[in-house]
Amino acid sequence: MFYYILRRIIWTPILLLIISLIVFIMGLYGPGDPVEVQLGQNYSEERAERIREAKGLNDPLYIQYFRYIGNALKGDFGESYKYPSKKVSELLKPKLVVSAKLFLASIFITILLGIPLGFYSALRQGSWIDPSVVALTLVLYAMPVFLIAPVLIIVFSLELGWFPVSGWGGFFDKRIILPAITIGIPGVAVLTRIMRASTLDVLGNEFVRTARAKGLTDLVVNYRHVARNALIPVVTILGFSIAGMLGGALIVELIFGIPGVGRFALDSIFSRDYPVIMALTLIGAISLIVANLIVDIFYVILDPRIRY
Amino acid sequence: MIMNFKKIIIKYFLIISLVGTLISCGSDTDIVTPDLNSSEETSNQEKNIAPGLMTEKKSDDSGDKNRGGVLKRLWADPATLDPHLVTDTTSAGLVVELFSGLVSLNSDLEIVPELAESWNISDDGKVYTFKLKENILFSDGTPITASDFKWSLERAAHPDTESPVASIYLEDIVGSMEVIDGDGSITDISGIKVIDDNTLQLTIDAPKAYFLAKLTYPTAYVVKKENVEQGGDNWTDSPVGTGPFILSEYSIGEVLVIRRNDNYWGEKAKLDGVEFNLAGGVAMAMYENDEIDITGVGLADLERVKDVNDPLNNDLVSVPPSFTVTYIGFNVNEPPFDDLKFRLALNYAVDKQLIASQVYSGLVKPAYGILPPNFPGFSLDITGIGYDPDKAVQLLAESKYADSSNRPPIIVTVPGTGGSPSLDMEVVSDMWDRILGVQVEIQQVEWATYLQDLHRRRLQVWGGSGWQADYPDPQDFIDILFHSNSTNNHGNYTNQEADKLLEDARTEQDVYKRISLYNQAEQLIIDDAPWLPMWFDQEGLALIKPWVKGFNFTPMIVPKMKDVYIDKS
Repeated sequence: MFYYILRRIIWTPILLLIISLIVFIMGLYGPGDPVEVQLGQNYSEERAERIREAKGLNDPLYIQYFRYIGNALKGDFGESYKYPSKKVSELLKPKLVVSAKLFLASIFITILLGIPLGFYSALRQGSWIDPSVVALTLVLYAMPVFLIAPVLIIVFSLELGWFPVSGWGGFFDKRIILPAITIGIPGVAVLTRIMRASTLDVLGNEFVRTARAKGLTDLVVNYRHVARNALIPVVTILGFSIAGMLGGALIVELIFGIPGVGRFALDSIFSRDYPVIMALTLIGAISLIVANLIVDIFYVILDPRIRY
Repeated sequence: MIMNFKKIIIKYFLIISLVGTLISCGSDTDIVTPDLNSSEETSNQEKNIAPGLMTEKKSDDSGDKNRGGVLKRLWADPATLDPHLVTDTTSAGLVVELFSGLVSLNSDLEIVPELAESWNISDDGKVYTFKLKENILFSDGTPITASDFKWSLERAAHPDTESPVASIYLEDIVGSMEVIDGDGSITDISGIKVIDDNTLQLTIDAPKAYFLAKLTYPTAYVVKKENVEQGGDNWTDSPVGTGPFILSEYSIGEVLVIRRNDNYWGEKAKLDGVEFNLAGGVAMAMYENDEIDITGVGLADLERVKDVNDPLNNDLVSVPPSFTVTYIGFNVNEPPFDDLKFRLALNYAVDKQLIASQVYSGLVKPAYGILPPNFPGFSLDITGIGYDPDKAVQLLAESKYADSSNRPPIIVTVPGTGGSPSLDMEVVSDMWDRILGVQVEIQQVEWATYLQDLHRRRLQVWGGSGWQADYPDPQDFIDILFHSNSTNNHGNYTNQEADKLLEDARTEQDVYKRISLYNQAEQLIIDDAPWLPMWFDQEGLALIKPWVKGFNFTPMIVPKMKDVYIDKS
């Protein structure tokens, strides 16, 4: 396993280099000229040329690329086009923190609701609870965030007045609840279903019967033997749904007015702020790779049988 | 400035389809037009207000009843807070509250003295001598002198400042173009003279009646030399201004707070401050939950707020349309548009009334001329080209492109992404096809590419964009868009007679004669059909909380926050 992780860690920078090259080329050939973005429509060619020279846009491409990568390694993604003289890293940092907190809260909700619900529903197979839970998760899974969000706002903000419609106050502010639920709901649905299926699978195993035959209490059997084994596929799915949730988070931040990275990303795309777009793509790629790595490591911890 | 029409319409439809009745957004000119990237939000009532505002409120409330309060608005991140670089309404709406110039526009769009107390214009109309007000101060308490104005105007023009609009607003001043188009070594504009601390003299190249109007734009505002030089590229992080408010807090994508400038020359702002929320959110829901004080009303909420039984109905106000014209432009050098009869045929074949009511539900008003209604110089006597299918067919038959086999292919370029061009363009092309049998191809290109091609006059036909007034003078439309030598004449239109009228109008000192010259030119241009004018902006609706007093909606950006106050009693 050690070698496996080592191999993964060695591969990571190579993967990132390839991604960064793709990102760089996309930025280069994307529509619009960054100088024109800055100068608007009325500009003289000489002035544009001077800016290109100053920004190093006239250097050979490979020099531009290595300069970019060199700086990116130091956490410097250059200056924003839209906010000239502002460092992309400075602009992004507070927004990444906000998004990360919101995301963490969503994952928390997903795990907290999804796993027990799926587990419980599997244990109650045959009663009315199980099909109800399955039906509920189907409904939840079918609901897009732009339906969930307004429903939550209408019910909990406008009608009940429990939460403000929008805004951000950090991890321990009540305004985080509605957006976190919105992002988390599709995850809850997926996780519940996977956990349920996985639990049923494990329940049918001989070691469970053996455990019961040994006279262990239901509680011990369920939690030590069933739940732990049932979690393995759930962890995989969790890794995947994190990627899916990121997309939803963009829209949710927009609807709930959260000063996270989602809105900023959209803004940057519309204003062709390539340094920001490139930085976000790279950061996104790194997060996904790291998340996958963590999932793989968790596998091994959960199930010693797994060997690479 | 060129505006993207589709973006504004998309703002309605996309958002409606996204979140049903919940999201609506600013439809009035000064509630910013949140295209996707700029829906906004209030962070929270008390928590996020700069601490200064809260303490100030108490001390100021004693005394004058009509003072105090914090107005909460939706806004988007400004592209810049540097007055010399401002090109968009989002930035301008903030900059006019923080900075000011010699003259300003009031809510009725009249030119009024700001930092200048008075001015006189020489008999030949070329020399403007401004007398500055006594004892005027920057927000940091230092005095403003005529030299500050000279420095500021020269800074705006200097190539290192990279102002995209300096050439538009300052070109008339003698010697300004040498600086703007120079390599940076020339800094002195010969037409700007400091007579004494309180007197500034501007010499322009010809008597131009619209010159004062241009000075109301932020490019001509005064900034403080030390502030700009010490702050470097980031000087607008803590700007020293001259407007009724000063910047108190700004975090990109979150919130921007301005508070009262106690060194303002005139009557001090009544509000303690204004909190502009930049983080986005569902405007209508936020308004209902008292998280913001003003919001525009989108199509989705229209019926609800118009219902007299709905509590929101009491807050409803109408918003004057912005001075915008949307059009389809023809490049008159490109066949088949080099033929007047062909252009006229296309004009007569479009039923704008039908599109306005069916496609846009009355959100737009069909345009038959160039100047928007109520804009200075707008005339009801202008005869536009209405819908007349028979005449269209007849004109096409008379044109040299009557036979489709010798008609070059027509490509209409529209801006945008997503693959589906604006609906109105599709309907127009369908009308051309059904009535005239003229088929066109619609090509959608990304906005930046569109602007570039437009600027380089590479487009044969273009739609989906419009022109919005920069200052209240007909020159801003008719001269800038149609004079043969204008850089914004994207369709290569030339008419010597019109050029002559426009040149005469530039220097004509008699207001009525001047307007009449523009009217004549406008009529000539319409008859030549270099455009198919499509829409003017229509009156919009907004909601404003009953405790917000003294707020005026205006069709152009003018400083207006200083007269506003909050009265919750």
